[in-house]
Amino acid sequence: MAEPHIESQHMHIGIPGYLVVFGILVVGTILTFVVALQDLDWIFPGANTFVALAIAFTKMSCVMLFFMHVRWSPKLIWLAAICSFFWLSIMFSFTMQDYLTRGLGVFST
Amino acid sequence: MANHATSYSDKFVYHEPGLQHQFEDMKQQEESVSIGMWMFLVQEIMFFGGLFTVYLVFRFRFPMAFSMGSNHLNVIMGFTNTLVLIVSSLTMALTVYFAQRNKRNWQIGMIVLTMLFGLTFLYIKYLEYHEKYVDGLVPVAGWNRKVKLPGTELSAPLPFETGAVAASEQGGEEEKPYNNPRGEFQWREGSKLVSDALAEEKANPNKKVLTEYERAGYLDPTTGLVDEYRFQEKIRSFFWIYFALTGLHALHMIIGLGLMTWLLWQAFKGTFNSEYYSPVEMSGLYWHFVDIVWIFLFPLLYLLGRHLLAGG
Repeated sequence: MAEPHIESQHMHIGIPGYLVVFGILVVGTILTFVVALQDLDWIFPGANTFVALAIAFTKMSCVMLFFMHVRWSPKLIWLAAICSFFWLSIMFSFTMQDYLTRGLGVFST
Repeated sequence: MANHATSYSDKFVYHEPGLQHQFEDMKQQEESVSIGMWMFLVQEIMFFGGLFTVYLVFRFRFPMAFSMGSNHLNVIMGFTNTLVLIVSSLTMALTVYFAQRNKRNWQIGMIVLTMLFGLTFLYIKYLEYHEKYVDGLVPVAGWNRKVKLPGTELSAPLPFETGAVAASEQGGEEEKPYNNPRGEFQWREGSKLVSDALAEEKANPNKKVLTEYERAGYLDPTTGLVDEYRFQEKIRSFFWIYFALTGLHALHMIIGLGLMTWLLWQAFKGTFNSEYYSPVEMSGLYWHFVDIVWIFLFPLLYLLGRHLLAGG
């Protein structure tokens, strides 16, 4: 009668854990703002973009793993989440390899 | 008849109250619901991904037009909105947490808070859009604030101001009166970055500041100088991208608020408990997804042109 509850259903990090994740997200937001005001091109060209995206990816991972409970989700969910970025990277890279090698094209005017 | 009797007794086999008859157990039901929601989110990623691709192509082609447009966005409002959305994500996560623990009142409180933060976000977004409307930066002709200064004709082409402003930039900031009788897109900041780049290239002939695309995109092919009309069109493309991306995001926020309203009603009726809380969790996934989109939009649109102004 007392069907044992699936443990994974209620797995999460609890309120203190949620607050820690929230803290990381706020710090990340402030950091991305402060860093954007510095010119980092002396490291390598486009370093600003790289840093901003790195922070955004970290924030996204926190949201996905803990707020969206991916960390305790079945492997199928992991697969769906990771594959979405794979498809996205195909869209970006195939589009760009065309645009970057095509000469002036339609944007010339 | 024997068969009938068997199936009749089957109906009284115990199962969890929230279990739909087509699933074996709660675990299978939970997983089916989540994978369905995740498939939806994956296609949403591709949906936004198309617009991000447009952004990518534009930024690769016209980095200067991008950074001028980007610097013109209201970064304080964008920053505030990022924080507002992060707080709303926290309250959404807590909504799921309390739903799993049968705490109806806490759950309702958290849903209300999430909705309040969502509305705050939309209000700030509205203020931002209004600012663009007042400045004549909505890229659709006729959708901007219409002001007809005395002495100008309604039917005459919009007096082209960017060249004049760019010229006056050398002598200092001089605010020109807003004159836009037909509510067209106009860019009043000039093209200082481009003319600076041209000057820099003139000083060191070996240095290439403008890319080949930018040269073709901004400059008059006969004179080799900045063509203000061409440059304005590139800025206009930036504002198209800005409005398309943030507009689609705002639409998702509005849909999210609709979901929250329904969730609030259900939670009020006490539908959700530790056995059955999938709708809360799935709405949460959607809300967090919308938050993640903004986590990328904020640096990409508002911040990435800014270091050029900081001067390095």
